[in-house]
Amino acid sequence: MLKRNAFIFVMLVVVIMGMLAVGNYLDRSRKHGPVKLVGDVRNVPAPDFELPSLDGRKIKLSDFRGQAVLLNFWATWCSPCKIEMPWFVDVQKQYGKDGLVVLGVAMDDTESAKIAEFTHELGVNYPVLLGTDKVSDDYGDVRALPTTFYIDRNGMIVAKAVGLLGREEVENDVKKALSSSYKPSLAQPRRAAVAVKTSQTKEATR
Amino acid sequence: MKRSLFGFIAFVVAGLAWSQEPGYKQPSVVMAAVENIQLRAGGSFSLALDFRIGTDFHINSNKPRADYLIPTVLKLNPTEPVAVADVKYPAGEDMTFAFSPNEKLSVYSGDFTIDTVLKAPANAAAGTYPVKGELRFQACDRSACYPPRSIPVQFQVIVVRK
Repeated sequence: MLKRNAFIFVMLVVVIMGMLAVGNYLDRSRKHGPVKLVGDVRNVPAPDFELPSLDGRKIKLSDFRGQAVLLNFWATWCSPCKIEMPWFVDVQKQYGKDGLVVLGVAMDDTESAKIAEFTHELGVNYPVLLGTDKVSDDYGDVRALPTTFYIDRNGMIVAKAVGLLGREEVENDVKKALSSSYKPSLAQPRRAAVAVKTSQTKEATR
Repeated sequence: MKRSLFGFIAFVVAGLAWSQEPGYKQPSVVMAAVENIQLRAGGSFSLALDFRIGTDFHINSNKPRADYLIPTVLKLNPTEPVAVADVKYPAGEDMTFAFSPNEKLSVYSGDFTIDTVLKAPANAAAGTYPVKGELRFQACDRSACYPPRSIPVQFQVIVVRK
């Protein structure tokens, strides 16, 4: 009798948790469409996006096919983000010639001029894009910052880092992303190449 | 039965492992309930508002050490004739991230109290007046930060005549 009650209890817990998970998923789907990236995202195609940059350009992720991309979600109010941004400046300098592109996605709810001032003070040498809720949702509802995706030359995610890790981890994941060879048959057609500016000082309004 | 039990244990372990993934836990701040306050017309009342921050998280103090950080701010909107005479925030505690030991942050963690003083003019009519407001904060854990949030703050003030 006791065993039977325990079994029923276990099944009840499983069913309730399953219902909560499905409810949560459906609720989010209704609001924002299906969440594209959840769980282990390695070897999953990075969702494409087009976002405005601080200097007023429109930048698409697919513009960088053939290059490895370090996609860093951050915000000015995020202290750990500020710690790792100089590391990204360094890896952009060191591995840019090998085909690495660092893209920052600012998730601030503030004027872009303030974001530009912040990145200028840090000497950011890579494009900083103005993030949207849609892009955050497409990448699995990015709430914890920093969150960084390492994307290979074919647009596939090879690593995801949530929170501040060490500089060594950053470099290892960059090397992983760079190690892939570009296979045009796997990737979508590449668009016109977008040059990575060496400084990001121009201000633009959001 | 044994198989079911094993399945259940595996389920719980998987759930625990998932909940340990950075960024999974969301920060929480809750306020202790405030009982109705009796405020004498023409007088003042010192009210301590107690808050508790979820384990493993901290929030910026009211005076963070950098302009780019979002301070914790209490906003109270009392109904006239009740007014807020003073709001005193506790001092923050120093904290550093492992990768940047030289950069100190001023934060609250665990429990903290904001001291307020409410007042009512001598000619205030007796009655019950709601005070509504919010606590705005921005939380982080040891490796990540989360978007700024607000929680509601509300209580009732009963103004009594002498």
